[in-house]
Amino acid sequence: MNKIHFDQLQETLYHKKLDNGLNVYVLPKKGFSKTYVTFTTKYGSVDRTFIPRGGNELVTVPDGIAHFLEHKMFEKEDGDVFQQFSENAAAANAFTSFTRTSYLFSSTSELYENTKTLLDFVQQPYFTEKTVEKEKGIIAQEITMYDDQADWRQYFGTIENLFENHPVRIDIAGTVETIQDITAEHLYECYETFYHPSNMVFFAVGNVDPEEMLRFVEQDQQEKTFEAPEPVVRNFPDEPDYAAKKRDELYMDVSKPKLMVGTKCRNTDMSGKEMLSRELASDVTLDILFGRSSEFFTQAYNDGLIDESFSYEFNLENGFGFAAIGSDTEKPEELEKLIKSVLDNAKNNWSISDDQLERIRKKRIGLFMRALNSPEYIANQFTHYNFNDMNLFDVVPVLEGLTTDQLKAAFDDLYYEDGQTIMTIYPSEQAK
Amino acid sequence: MFLKTELQSGVNLYTRQTAQFKTVSVAIKFTAPLTEENAASRTVLANVLEDSSAQYPTRTKLRQALEELYGAVYYADTGKRGNEHIFTIYAESVNEEYLRNPEVPVFEQLLALVTESLFKPNLTDGVFDEAIVEREKQTVIDRIGSVYNDKTRFANKRMLELIRSGQPASQSASGTEKALSAITKESLKATYDQMLSEDTIDIYILGDVDTDQLTNRAETLFPFTKEIRNSIPVTATTTSGKAPTAKHIRERQDMKQGKLNMAFSTPVGFNHPDYPKMQMMNGVLGGFAHSKLFINVREKESLAYYCSSSYASHYGLLYIMSGIDAEQEEKTAALINQQIEALRNGDISDLEIRQTLALLSNSIRSSFDSAKGQIEIYDQYKLLDENFSADKLIRNWERVTKEDIQEMATLLTKEITYLLSGREAMDHE
Repeated sequence: MNKIHFDQLQETLYHKKLDNGLNVYVLPKKGFSKTYVTFTTKYGSVDRTFIPRGGNELVTVPDGIAHFLEHKMFEKEDGDVFQQFSENAAAANAFTSFTRTSYLFSSTSELYENTKTLLDFVQQPYFTEKTVEKEKGIIAQEITMYDDQADWRQYFGTIENLFENHPVRIDIAGTVETIQDITAEHLYECYETFYHPSNMVFFAVGNVDPEEMLRFVEQDQQEKTFEAPEPVVRNFPDEPDYAAKKRDELYMDVSKPKLMVGTKCRNTDMSGKEMLSRELASDVTLDILFGRSSEFFTQAYNDGLIDESFSYEFNLENGFGFAAIGSDTEKPEELEKLIKSVLDNAKNNWSISDDQLERIRKKRIGLFMRALNSPEYIANQFTHYNFNDMNLFDVVPVLEGLTTDQLKAAFDDLYYEDGQTIMTIYPSEQAK
Repeated sequence: MFLKTELQSGVNLYTRQTAQFKTVSVAIKFTAPLTEENAASRTVLANVLEDSSAQYPTRTKLRQALEELYGAVYYADTGKRGNEHIFTIYAESVNEEYLRNPEVPVFEQLLALVTESLFKPNLTDGVFDEAIVEREKQTVIDRIGSVYNDKTRFANKRMLELIRSGQPASQSASGTEKALSAITKESLKATYDQMLSEDTIDIYILGDVDTDQLTNRAETLFPFTKEIRNSIPVTATTTSGKAPTAKHIRERQDMKQGKLNMAFSTPVGFNHPDYPKMQMMNGVLGGFAHSKLFINVREKESLAYYCSSSYASHYGLLYIMSGIDAEQEEKTAALINQQIEALRNGDISDLEIRQTLALLSNSIRSSFDSAKGQIEIYDQYKLLDENFSADKLIRNWERVTKEDIQEMATLLTKEITYLLSGREAMDHE
């Protein structure tokens, strides 16, 4: 067992890598009533082409399958797993992202009963043609619900425009059509390939005794049989350094037009500290250029180009990265011009000062410290970083070491010729 | 859980010294009656106070000052509770104990910034700046308009307007476009003066700080004028009397999913002795993933991704919300009605009761794991019992029997079935 103490943060992280390859982490938090426990596989919507465990050829599975599998894990021969969690006073859930699928519960009592339920249900798949068919109606309604959400459509429209080949361009849940092709056999194939303990991380945070929890998980895993760990072979198509589509628009029943500028990251084949520095440098740069204390914000807000919906974000994973900047706006053309002029100006007359960096550095350190109040943030963000060989608890030291040169390098990989797209949603009545 | 100190009649300070969080939080809550005009002008005031202050007269200066304080949080917003309108200032900073070499006492400086912004706002010739007021009026008008873009929220809002037009249950905490447009820089100053002198005020401070010392300084920190503040009698705006005939209304928008909602009235509100029973009934019906609605509408029939109920105790209403294929409206509505009937017939298992009690208990205990959660939950429940605790609430739920749940279900009166759906469906009718 490793025990890592973070002096300044006054947190201690316990870790053990089990014989079957599972990484178990526990972070006790004093004063908390609940324990938040996640069990996550490094398997998300982008993992659609891979060599199945025991096979030797690449296969491509239907879009939306990782998310479909997540839904189906909850159903067992003897009923629904939610029933068991409810009986033991746990609120359970799961989510699927581009790169991972996470199962979780939060409870203030019966910690080990619930942990056992979590480990068992994720490690005992049960799929039949009948239960798979039944789920299609439920997921079709989930997809239809998102189809009506303009923010979601705009965000995924932006990503789709940016990427020509990379599967990040495919909606996480797939479409009502693609999920029709999913079979129980597909689900077993994906399950066997990606749910081996060596491809997974267990994280418990909150009201928990770390040594007891580590022992509990270890014993549980020793009682189960697993095949030997095998590296997962995924395949990703080549992705060019330009946006696949420069511009797109949609007409929906919204009160006001929406504009989003997307910009695609190049040189994303990285991991570990290099990746963490890159991510934080990009976040800080966007904050300086577009944050609430920026010149841009004051001008755009005073001129009525943006409203409270204005936001910007940066996402980086091994193999893809992008930033998205957008707002509801009555003047999409003017807003587009202003955002581009800020980006062009940063590119042509780079002028981020040490003072600006210092101020935003402090802001981001504070933001991170505040986030450590949240067990949900710690578990989810730690796991996300862990899958890319980064360590969540390096955030403060890396922020403390950031230089304006690193900001410039991050910006150069984020904003370059032909790497942008504009996604606009207009109210239906403006349709030509 | 909080230690109460009455600073003057109608102004109370609540403190809690705890090392649970890495932050220190302060909230100041001003309570006034809920009217359209109050809601509109207090919401614009929230935005205007958050924009700038005499000390930091531009948005950029104020935001930069917060960034220097390690990204401290400072915002003002408004909400409603029954017939009350609540204006809240919320601020939070990292406890400097966790920072390497902070040059300044971070929370002290944040507290100074918050009180300066409140007592010395950014005024020109004794009133607020016209350009800022006009811009923030537009921002709030846009916020109200944006509800339209979220069809789930919009459907619920429309349904409430159809059954509780002009009443607190359907009123927006941000006012109406008409009331917002009528605001001037002078009227906003009057709103500000009135809020400081007439509202009842609750101040919360929570974190690992010297709360005794802060309490001793409270009258200097918060120099509210000594005027008479009339607390509003909290009344849950439940309706009683004759049962109306349930409405059945269908509306259309350009959208794909159908939003099938229902609303039921109940004489049991937040301060009614049967409140815990109604909470249990709602949990068995549709509050959780083991509830009747989830199991039958989603899991058994695959009709919906979400189908749940929620109990708006301050308005004596219970809503059911679902997202379905509009073609399945009748089938889904019949299935939902069957679940209510099942409850009325006492078709309630011990397991359902145990699960609901377990998850209600988990939910209240978990809500204390955030600073804001502690403040908000306490602020709500202190009206019922100043010495309230999670354990007391849980004991009330433990006493609820199957017969109680059955009785609560019989107290529901359906007022409306509402379907919002796409235009396509209408075309082939």
